[in-house]
Amino acid sequence: MKYEITYIQENCSGCLRCQLACSRAYARSFQPSAACIKIESRGAEYRIIFTKDCVECGFCADNCLFGALTKTPKEVTA
Amino acid sequence: MIKGGFAGRILHVNLSEQRTWTEPVDDALARDYVGGLGICIKLASDLIPRGVEPLSPESVFVLGVGPLVGTDLPSSSRMYAVARLPASGTVGWCGAGGYTFGAQLKYAGYDHIIVSGMADKPVYINIEDARVDIRDAGAMWGLGIDDTCESVYRDLDAQAGVIAIGQAGENKSAIAMAFVDRISTLGRGGFGAVMGAKNLKAIVVQGSGGITVSDRKRFNKLSRSLLNSFREYKYLKEWQELGMLKAFPMVSIDVYKRMKERRTACVSCPVGCKEVVRIPDGPFAGLVKHTSSALNLFTPMMYGMQDPWEAVKLITDLDSYGMDMFEFFGLMGMARELAGSGVISLTPEEPEIDLTSFSSMSAWAERIARRQGTGDLLADGFSAVLEKLGNEAKQHAPALIKGIHPYAGPGAALPWDRFGTMELGQVLDPRGPHVGSGGSPTYFAIRPLEVFPKHLKRMGIPENVVDRILGPDRNKLHVGRLLRYSHAWFAMLGSLGICARGQVNRFYNADLCAKAYEAATGIPTSTDDLRKRVDRVWTTFRELNIREGLDASKEALPDQWFRESGFKEYLTGEPLSKKQAEEMKKEYFDEWGWEG
Repeated sequence: MKYEITYIQENCSGCLRCQLACSRAYARSFQPSAACIKIESRGAEYRIIFTKDCVECGFCADNCLFGALTKTPKEVTA
Repeated sequence: MIKGGFAGRILHVNLSEQRTWTEPVDDALARDYVGGLGICIKLASDLIPRGVEPLSPESVFVLGVGPLVGTDLPSSSRMYAVARLPASGTVGWCGAGGYTFGAQLKYAGYDHIIVSGMADKPVYINIEDARVDIRDAGAMWGLGIDDTCESVYRDLDAQAGVIAIGQAGENKSAIAMAFVDRISTLGRGGFGAVMGAKNLKAIVVQGSGGITVSDRKRFNKLSRSLLNSFREYKYLKEWQELGMLKAFPMVSIDVYKRMKERRTACVSCPVGCKEVVRIPDGPFAGLVKHTSSALNLFTPMMYGMQDPWEAVKLITDLDSYGMDMFEFFGLMGMARELAGSGVISLTPEEPEIDLTSFSSMSAWAERIARRQGTGDLLADGFSAVLEKLGNEAKQHAPALIKGIHPYAGPGAALPWDRFGTMELGQVLDPRGPHVGSGGSPTYFAIRPLEVFPKHLKRMGIPENVVDRILGPDRNKLHVGRLLRYSHAWFAMLGSLGICARGQVNRFYNADLCAKAYEAATGIPTSTDDLRKRVDRVWTTFRELNIREGLDASKEALPDQWFRESGFKEYLTGEPLSKKQAEEMKKEYFDEWGWEG
């Protein structure tokens, strides 16, 4: 199943749970640098960026408890 | 034997020799002292020279994080330093929310850093994975914490963890702290001065590696289940909305919401108690402050300051200097009395000491941080001031324990007067007064006795001991006996790397800690094993301090606590007598099986 991942940068707390979930699943290691979602911090702001390797699995959204990431199933077309 | 959790290496930095090297984390060390706080204490016990002066080149400090830090186990970011502290003279732990530093250290490949020697000019330690170098900090020296961190962030492409000192640390003030990622505080008792005395302005770490766990399936199941408990917590949104103000509503929600910019969190924490605020109007409009809690920002109002934005600005300045706000206000209160009674004379250019006045406190913060005029005397902390001024000054001193002013009690900052484990712990923790939660149910809340058994069980307290703590009819509270287990629980959470704040540690229990530790590290660990190991940690901590001169005189109860408006008994709210508190101390030692 693929998901549409939507994000609200203002809600991001910088906890990096999204990166930990992604790297745990795909790099078999807790390794933010290997995650397909990047959280860049600049001053009081966080920027959420998805890399081209993102497979839209939604694990990142499952692990966000701050309401910064949400997922909705993508429609499957024949 | 270690199969995961640990990054696996200890980094040594000798600043005198400008040399760095690593050693592997020894299997037996990991097994016997768990990790994080436990290993910091053991290394400190082995490496801090007997009788060393805290600010001498021979002094050594140890930093470290536990084996769960860097994983996704919720709220496992806690970091510790252990050093001989100038204010207390004891060897103390300094704990902080690791924010990003703790996890970055692990991703760079290190569980601990041991810093020895003294650089001959200002330096900072720069760690990028395996590459470690000691760099010139000439351009940073003289900067406050925020500016130091900004100067680091500016030059980097990726995120970095930064521990830095401000001007107070550079000037070796006994009330100087270090700050982690400009937010979390590390070290009541003068840890900032320990770094400053080594000419060490900052430690910067960037890690690109990862942490693996021994039993992925088991660890992931535990972590997922725990996260769901957080998700279903009915007060989660309220904690995320208000942070620590939920526990202590020191200002109106309206004032808070006007300045709140965003909630921030340590790595892996789904609650988040850190925050970014912006002063909305007035002379300081637009000032942005990163803080470990909005609660701290309003502390000056407890001393009579009226304007919340002036309070925020003052704490911003104190934090930037890298100063302990509790010590600052305690010292200023004493200095006001000393000046009023003629024991000290202020110079003509020095402002009147008025704790309610922003301009007065702001000026004095700078004078202490920069050691100007009377500020030079005050910068050395309570013990040094009292020693220098003699008996005439002592009557004006507030409650002090090991030369440090406790956060609660008569004349202290927080409006909390029940005498629970954390309050007795101000006296019986070898590190001296602190604000680190020990995670017991008496922590900043008046809870009914009926809920104690479930919390005590969670803390790993055996059933037969519960009767000793609550009495056979479960209608009493022996605070001293409970403190013995609260210290063990604190050591357990700290050694693993789990946050001990109430809104987090409520989801943890000793069984879960043992399972998570075993799943992460592969080190066979039952709950009982873990209990014994953390008892060893706290016993080592006490033995180390006894070796360094800790005695009954340093664990005396302050008389001020038992005067009018003093502490109250936890259960009844009745005034607490010194005799009752002395009995609690005896019970604490009895429960450990130690001589008091």
